[in-house]
Amino acid sequence: MARHLGIRAALGAVTIAGVVVLTFVLMFVVPGDPARGIAGPRADAETLALVRANLHLDGSLATQLWSYMSGIVRGDLGVSYVRREPVTDLLAARLPATAILACAGLALSVVLGSALGVWDGLRPRRSRLLATINVGLLSIPTFSMGFTLLLIFGYKLSLFPITGGTGAANLVLPAVTLALWGVPYYASVVRDGMQEVLAAPYTRTAVGKGLPRRAVITGHVLRNALSPVVTMVGLDFAIYMSGVVFVENVFAWPGIGQLQTQAFGDLDRPVLMGTVVVAAVIVVAANLAADTARMFLDPRTREQPA
Amino acid sequence: MSADLVISGLRVGYGDRTVIHDASLVVPAGRTLVLVGESGSGKSTLALAAARLLPPTARVDGAIRLGDVDVTGLTGRALRQARGRLIAYVPQDAMAALNPLHTAGHQIAEVLELAGATRRAAAVGARELLAQVGMPDPEPVARQYPHQLSGGMRQRVMIAIALAAEPEVLIADEPTTALDVTVQAGILALARDLQVRRQTTLVWITHDFGVVAELADAVAVMYGGRIVEHAPVTELFDRPVHPYTRGLIATTRDTREGAPRTPFHAIAGSPPRGAAPPGCPFHPRCGVAMPQCAVELPLPEGVAPGHVAACHRIGAAA
Amino acid sequence: MTDEGTPLLELDGVGHRFGAVLALDDVSLTVRAGTTLGVVGESGSGKSTLARVIVGLERPREGVVRLRGQTYPHSARGLRPIRRRIAMIFQDPYDSLDPRFPLRRIIDEPLRAQGLPRHDDRLAELLRSVGMDGAPLDSYPAEYSGGERQRIGIARALASEPELLVCDEPTSALDVSVQAQILNLLLELQRVKGLAYVFVSHDLDVVRRMSDELAVMQAGRIVERGPTAAVCAAPSHAYTRTLMGAAPATHPSLRAGRPPAAVQPSSLSRT
Repeated sequence: MARHLGIRAALGAVTIAGVVVLTFVLMFVVPGDPARGIAGPRADAETLALVRANLHLDGSLATQLWSYMSGIVRGDLGVSYVRREPVTDLLAARLPATAILACAGLALSVVLGSALGVWDGLRPRRSRLLATINVGLLSIPTFSMGFTLLLIFGYKLSLFPITGGTGAANLVLPAVTLALWGVPYYASVVRDGMQEVLAAPYTRTAVGKGLPRRAVITGHVLRNALSPVVTMVGLDFAIYMSGVVFVENVFAWPGIGQLQTQAFGDLDRPVLMGTVVVAAVIVVAANLAADTARMFLDPRTREQPA
Repeated sequence: MSADLVISGLRVGYGDRTVIHDASLVVPAGRTLVLVGESGSGKSTLALAAARLLPPTARVDGAIRLGDVDVTGLTGRALRQARGRLIAYVPQDAMAALNPLHTAGHQIAEVLELAGATRRAAAVGARELLAQVGMPDPEPVARQYPHQLSGGMRQRVMIAIALAAEPEVLIADEPTTALDVTVQAGILALARDLQVRRQTTLVWITHDFGVVAELADAVAVMYGGRIVEHAPVTELFDRPVHPYTRGLIATTRDTREGAPRTPFHAIAGSPPRGAAPPGCPFHPRCGVAMPQCAVELPLPEGVAPGHVAACHRIGAAA
Repeated sequence: MTDEGTPLLELDGVGHRFGAVLALDDVSLTVRAGTTLGVVGESGSGKSTLARVIVGLERPREGVVRLRGQTYPHSARGLRPIRRRIAMIFQDPYDSLDPRFPLRRIIDEPLRAQGLPRHDDRLAELLRSVGMDGAPLDSYPAEYSGGERQRIGIARALASEPELLVCDEPTSALDVSVQAQILNLLLELQRVKGLAYVFVSHDLDVVRRMSDELAVMQAGRIVERGPTAAVCAAPSHAYTRTLMGAAPATHPSLRAGRPPAAVQPSSLSRT
C-alpha cells in the first residue's frame, strides 16, 4: 500500500511539473507585452529594453522556463510585475482566505447535501420536489447565483455587507453561493448511491439476519453508499481551493481567485504562474489525500490486482 | 423438536405479473426437499417468499406455516426474531450477498451478537462456525474480506451466517451452481452432515439432477410458476410421470451415459418468459401434448403413495 | 474429415502469464480437421486463457501456435487471415451480443472485419442454419431468450466460414432444458460443415459427450490427454480421477452419503 501511494506521489510531482511547463509555454505565446504594460504606453524603445532586461524577458523561452523551474525548486516564484512584491508573499497572504471559503462552502455542501441524499434515498419514492429544486439549482451559473444573492440579501435587504472583507458576515453569502451548487450535487449522488445499496443483495442478507432496520442502515447501507463521497470531497476541495474565481470576484472575497483575476488583467505573469503552481500542488495533494482515505475505507482498493 | 414446513396455495406477483400461480407442498421436519426448476419456474421467488425476503412490492397470497407459526403473517418484532431462527436463506451469488466492507468473521459474528453474545464470544463463535462449515483453518478466513476469498469459501461463509442462529429450516438457492464440481462435492457433503448433526430441515434449489440424486429425500419440480410433480426421490427417478421431469431426467442420463459425438436427448423450445400460455404451462414444449392441454390447466393428482403430478395424461391411455 | 497430414491446429510449448500469475505452462496439443478436442478444467485451470490464445486474443509469452502449419504472426494485420478461419463462441449470451446492434449488424461483423461481401441472403441463410429462420435481421438481441441469443452468436461465428470453432463454455449460462438443444446444433453443424471444435468446459460429462479427444487441465498444465473413451475408461492422472469422482450420482441409490430418508406418503400429499 505504501509503495502504491509512493508511486502516486511521484506521478503527482510529474503532473505538477507538466502543468507548470505547459502553462508557462502557453503564456509565453499569448500576445501582449508585459514590458509595455509596466513601462506605460508612451515609453520609448530604450526604456522598454531596460525593463525587459530587468525582468529577464529578453531570453529565449527555454532560458526563461529553466530559470523559472529552478526558481520553484528554491521556493522562489518570482516577483510581481505590478506590485513589486515576491509572489510567494502575495499568495501566502491570500491563501488562508480561500481556504476558509473553500472549507465553509464544502462543509455546507457535503453535510447538507449528504443528509438530504440519505433522507431522499430512504423514502420509498424519490422526492419530486427535491429533484426539481436540485435540477433548478444546478442549472444556475455560480456567478448569477452570487450576484442575485448579493443583490437581494446585501443590497436590498442590507443583511450582509456588500463591500469586501473577511469577517464572518462577509463569509455567509459566498459560502452559501458555493453550497447552493454543491448541495444538489451531493444530494443527487448520495441518493443514487443509497438506492443502489438498498437494492443490493448484501442489504437483503443483513435484513435476513433479523437486524433492526436502523442497524441495517447504519451498519451496512450508509458506509457503502457514502464511500464515493470521500473521493468526491477530495476532488471538490481541490477545485474550491484553487480559488473559486467567480465567487471570490462577485463578493470581493480577498482570496487567490480574486488575485488571479487581477493578475490576468495586468498581464502580471509571475503572479498568474504562481496561482497555477499553487493550484496544481493543491489538486495533486487533495487527490492523494482522497485516495489514501478511500484505501482506508474500502478494503477492495487496498490490493493491487493479481 | 422441529416441525413440518407447509406451503399452501402460495401465489406471488408483482404488479399485474404473476410469478407463482399456485404452489403447495410439504417439507417434512428434518428432511431435505430439493426443488428443481429453470428460469421462469418461480423457484427463487418461492424460496424468498418462505424466507420473507421478497421486496415490499411483491403481492403474496396463500400461507406458509412452520408448525403452528404462520410465517407469512409475521410482522415487526416477531418477524425480526423469526429471521435466522426459524428460517434462514442462502442465496446463489455469495459475492454479491456479502458486505464488501466487512470481514467474513464480522459478518458471521453479527448474527451471534444479535442473539445476545458478547463481542468476544461472537468472534470465537464465528471461527467455530467456519470450522463447522468445513474451513480447515478458520482464523485467516475470518479476518479476510469477501473479495479476498474464493467462490467456494464465500459460499461456506454464507452458510455459516445462515447457520449461526441455528435455524429450523435452511433454504438454499442454487448454492453450488457457479462452483467447480470438486467444490460442489464438498458443499453437498456439508449439507448432508448438517442434516445428520442438527436435524435441520433443508430446502435446496437446483436445476441439476445430480444434486437431486445426492441430496434429496423428496423432490418437487416447478415449471411456469407451478409445481408440476412432487415425489420421494427414488420414486421420482424410477417412475417420473410429468413429461418435463421425464425430459430432464432423460437428458441428464443421456449426457452421462451417451456415446461421444452423438445427439443429446433434448426438450424442444424454451422456458416461458413473461405470461404463461393458457392450459398447461408446459404444453408448447410437450412431445405428448393432447388438445385438452392447450385449454385446461391440469391439477395435481396422486399417481402413487406420496407421488403427485399435474398432467392430463395421468389416467389417459399412455 | 480426413486430414492431409498437417493437423489443423497445433500448440507447441505454449506458456502465458498475467503479471506474476502463471496461466499456461508448457501446453502442447493438436487438433485435426473435423474433430473435437475437449478441454476440461476447473476455475484457474487456464482453459479460458487457452481458448483466447487459440483465437488470437492473447499472444502467448512462450511457445508457438500454428494453423495449418502457419505460425500465428504478432501483428493484428498478420492475424487477419487466421481470424477468418477461426471463430469463437462465448459463454454468456447476454454479454456477448451488443444490445445496441440489430441482428444484421451483429452477424455480419466477421464479414466486415474481413472485408467480405455482406448480403442479406447470406445473413438469412446463416440464421436458418442455426435454427433461427424467420428471425428478422432488424430485430435486437433483447427480444430473444438466452438459447436464441446463443444461436445468434453461433451464426455470427459461422459468418466467415471458419474451419475451427472455439467454444468457451457455450452452454454453462443456459437453462438445462436448452443446453441439449444448443449442443445438438453444434454437433449437427460439425457434421454438415466438417468443422473442428475446441470445446472448453468445466462439465466433464458434456465435454466427454462432445469430444473425440480429451485434454484435462490443472493449474495451467495439461495433465492428461488422449482419445475420449480411453481417458474416461482408464484415467491415469490423479486429478482426472478426482474430477470423475466428484461428479454427482445419477441415481439416489448411488449417492455418496446415507440413503434417502423415508418420507411419509401422507405428509407429502397433505396440502
